[in-house]
Amino acid sequence: MKTFEHVEPKATRDALGQLAGDGLTFPIAGGTDLLTVMKKEIVRAQRLVNLKEIAELRYIREDSRGGLRLGALATLDEVERHPLVRERYPALAQAIAVSASPQLRTMGTIGGNLCQHSRCWYYREDFHCWLKGGEVCYARDGQNAQHAIFGGGPCYSTQPSDPGPALVALGARVRILGPSADRERTIPIEELFVVPTEDRRRLTALAPDELIVEVQVSRPAPGQRSRYLKAMDRAIWAFALVSVAANLRLDGGRIAEARLVLGGVAPKPWRAHDAEAALAGRPLDTAAIADATRAAVRGAQPLVHNAYKVPLAEGLVKRILEDLVE
Amino acid sequence: MAKVVKTRIEMEGETVERSVVVEGEAPPPWTEDTVLSLIGGARPRVDGPARVSGRAVYTADVRLPGMLYAKILRCPHAHARLRRIDVAPAMALRGVRAVLSHRTAPPIQWQNGVLLFDETLRFAGDEVAAVAADDEDIAQDALELIEVDYEVLPFVVDPEAALRPDAPRIHPRGNRSSPPRVYQRGDVARGFADADIVVETVVRTPTALHNCMEPHGSVAWRDGDTLVIWDSTQHVHGVREQVAETLGLPLSRVRVISEYIGGGFGSKQGVGKYTIIAALLARLTSRPVQLMLDRREENLATGNRHETIQRLRIGARRDGSLTAIDLRAIAAIGAYGGQPMAIAGPVQEFYRCPNVLTEEVGAFTNTGPTCAFRAPGYTEGAYGLETALDELAARLEIDPLELRLRNYADVNPVSGRPFSSKPLRELYRLGAEQIGWHDKRRPECGPTGARRRGVGMATATWGGGGGPPAHALVRINSDATVDVLVGTQDIGTGTKTVLATIAAEELGLSIQAVRVALGDTLAGPYCPVSAGSMTVASVGPAVRQAAREARQALRDVAATFLEVPASQLDIQDGEIVATMSPDRRMTIEDLAGRLNRFQIIGKGSRGANPNDVDIRTFGAQFAEVQVDTETGQVEVCRLVAVHECGRVINPLTTSSQVEGGVVQGIGYALMEERIVDPRTGKVLNPNLDDYKLPTVQDAPVVEVTMDDHVDERANVLGAKGLGEPPIIPTAPAIANAVAHALGRPLVEFPLTRARLLQALQEGQVGNGSSHPRPLSPRERGRGHRR
Repeated sequence: MKTFEHVEPKATRDALGQLAGDGLTFPIAGGTDLLTVMKKEIVRAQRLVNLKEIAELRYIREDSRGGLRLGALATLDEVERHPLVRERYPALAQAIAVSASPQLRTMGTIGGNLCQHSRCWYYREDFHCWLKGGEVCYARDGQNAQHAIFGGGPCYSTQPSDPGPALVALGARVRILGPSADRERTIPIEELFVVPTEDRRRLTALAPDELIVEVQVSRPAPGQRSRYLKAMDRAIWAFALVSVAANLRLDGGRIAEARLVLGGVAPKPWRAHDAEAALAGRPLDTAAIADATRAAVRGAQPLVHNAYKVPLAEGLVKRILEDLVE
Repeated sequence: MAKVVKTRIEMEGETVERSVVVEGEAPPPWTEDTVLSLIGGARPRVDGPARVSGRAVYTADVRLPGMLYAKILRCPHAHARLRRIDVAPAMALRGVRAVLSHRTAPPIQWQNGVLLFDETLRFAGDEVAAVAADDEDIAQDALELIEVDYEVLPFVVDPEAALRPDAPRIHPRGNRSSPPRVYQRGDVARGFADADIVVETVVRTPTALHNCMEPHGSVAWRDGDTLVIWDSTQHVHGVREQVAETLGLPLSRVRVISEYIGGGFGSKQGVGKYTIIAALLARLTSRPVQLMLDRREENLATGNRHETIQRLRIGARRDGSLTAIDLRAIAAIGAYGGQPMAIAGPVQEFYRCPNVLTEEVGAFTNTGPTCAFRAPGYTEGAYGLETALDELAARLEIDPLELRLRNYADVNPVSGRPFSSKPLRELYRLGAEQIGWHDKRRPECGPTGARRRGVGMATATWGGGGGPPAHALVRINSDATVDVLVGTQDIGTGTKTVLATIAAEELGLSIQAVRVALGDTLAGPYCPVSAGSMTVASVGPAVRQAAREARQALRDVAATFLEVPASQLDIQDGEIVATMSPDRRMTIEDLAGRLNRFQIIGKGSRGANPNDVDIRTFGAQFAEVQVDTETGQVEVCRLVAVHECGRVINPLTTSSQVEGGVVQGIGYALMEERIVDPRTGKVLNPNLDDYKLPTVQDAPVVEVTMDDHVDERANVLGAKGLGEPPIIPTAPAIANAVAHALGRPLVEFPLTRARLLQALQEGQVGNGSSHPRPLSPRERGRGHRR
């Protein structure tokens, strides 16, 4: 790791003032991801803006309408343990519980978790891949067992966050601040996550001079249930091969609203819209589950080594819906 | 009196006859009837507190005045030639003290006719240059300033591709790393003609990485005329010899120290390039130099368990008796090395089979060189043989355990000699009973539903007899403490604890009174490499003999004062007591009070092995798994490990070995696999994120059962080694359990979700019938390249 400057603003606006958007300045909170990419010199930071001293961004509270507000600096561990989260947003608590390790969850923040760099090994190892500004995606025709079956190309990375799919399923929003007041915005979290494009070789829509300051989740409606399931190549401490977050609202025995979001299958948390449609208005029974399971992987485009993700996604969707049957 | 004896010594599947020096008189064996007070008791490690509190000094902890830190520049290409290398910009960096490269390093021969810093680089990770600097960051910065112009060469990473005539040549004489190793007994053609059934399969096993908790590394320091090396090694005396030879120094001018080691698993058996590089940099700078590798380097350049492709044909009669086994194995040796490990060992010696033909071929590949890894070869070979036997059992509709019993080898099928002891039948019985084998293998317990249970088992046979040369000194001090001086090392197995127990037992003292000094070639007499499961069985008898000699000397001395013949004196809890008249007694401190500057020294050496028997260790493991056919998850629900190593000296260190081997075996079965990019030859997962080691949550409680008996023929302790056997049967036992759950065999490992789900998609999973669908050649040949 190279020498860098380290600044410690105490307030959010000071931090924003320090973020130059010059490609050399980076915000750091838990540092559990940033330091790994700095050590590998994927990120060559000349200046780090430490957010950890900003007390006003570390909170978990209920808002006036009964919704959940997570300050960006709330640690994953704090969020997972919070009674409000466990009671009302099981998908989020479950997603955090199966991410990383206890040590990393204690250091890592919810805001940082949403801004992780790709875990693609071609990105992390010594390859000048497309996502790093190169010409080609090595994964497309290479060792791609861990890569995208949806939304791939030009980059086949998958979004590594576990809370990500859960928060998309829960319809969360994120508040983003920029260097000036007119840059302030609150957007559905679904829009934060993006498929990288030619002019935006990143996994999020966050600009380098912006900060996520808050995650907002509405109060669940009556009859709403959520879950998160994750498949890894060992019991724990691994990124998802495939995961699924489900958030259903049942009304009078029928599914009034369904959100199914797959993780580990695309550069962003992937809404299984067809599966959601297959569930809408129906009782959560075997037939609906079978239809949704099939629909969830419709349009999947596996690469040479990741075709197993199709049955795996089906298996997880089936399992999570069965779990949601009371 | 010293004498030279010829003796047979087995190590990691290879038996050699050696002439060795044996001194003194061997003590009478500890038999079943010998009353022992300490041996066999569960005792915590004598160095446990030092290790867990951080007081233990590992190589990375060594700090010497003026010490420099070194780092290695590694080749980013799988195969390249140095066109030009310019180290001047690195040398110009403030704090850089020395740089070594092909141009400036002495032309030291390494292996395969290649130099320490060669002009040709043969794998991504091969050593190009090294820097010594005032701190690690400067050294790292300096590496980036070295300008290298590589001529990138064609490469090959797949062992089968490497053996094709048109493959890029890695060494001038081609890509066969050695002549094929062929073993033959009987006539396999006749054996197959006699068979009622022939099972054919192709098993592929992955490249596994050691990932010792402590990385490889050395500190080199020229202390006057002696080169002192701190090294994380399994063999201090071996490193001493190799350093002396490589650098042209007299043996006596090299001292190697390794008191604490954080695991080796076979990868630290000899001198590393890093050791020589540290020594050269120390010589250039006249400063101590520390060179520790990082996790990435560990996973690129310090060895691996080789990938294998095993083509197996097994012939049997309807009653299950084996008529022939034919194994053709190919192993990826990596860029340097020679013969493959003993992949054919299990086929040759696990079962009675009159006709056996094995051929093992090593292929050079443009990947990191392979090396021994816990039960090298046998672990790979058992995967093939033991899973193929289950396929045979299914085809014959014979219980897999029964099939193994019907082919039980009462004598060593390779040598024809009997074993010093072989309680394997009993191990099978104990394991089967514990896991509930016969209930769980009933045909009506076949696979149904999405979550399926299965049980499987596999056998282990391994050496572990040890042998000479191994020497020890035991000093009884005037404060009633004892020093055991041995040139062995404790690589994390508990050697220190075991040797202290043996000395204390023989001397009639408490373990607390005994201090074992090991891991230093200056202090400790020669002991063998801590490998081949041979440390206890080699060094233990030498320590016992030395302690016995010291004990006799102590009695002789005490006899003078107690006025009782020495033969009538016994030592109990540190007191010398006349057995006939117990009131005549004195403590060691009493003796010290009467004598000026008193110290007693005993010496011992390991005697020869018996000629008429083979010493082997045996084990059997039984796994119960749950396979989720919808998500591809394999959960190991139970793992029953039944082993024997003769006499159990300490049940705690014993169960540690079994648990460690099993957990490593679970990793090998289910998740561990080095992945190489086929288009660049670079390793994609040289880290602990993407190279998956099992966590505690991946392992069930390992149910360890030891058949504790005294192997009286093995040596004067009656104990054999146990370091390696526990990893041998784990993966095939799990694979067989998975095959049982699915009703069809799997032939590509590890059994990741990807492989499981792919297999489930392709093939019809059985419906509980014990007839698995035979695999088509197309299926057998498939597999993604590593």
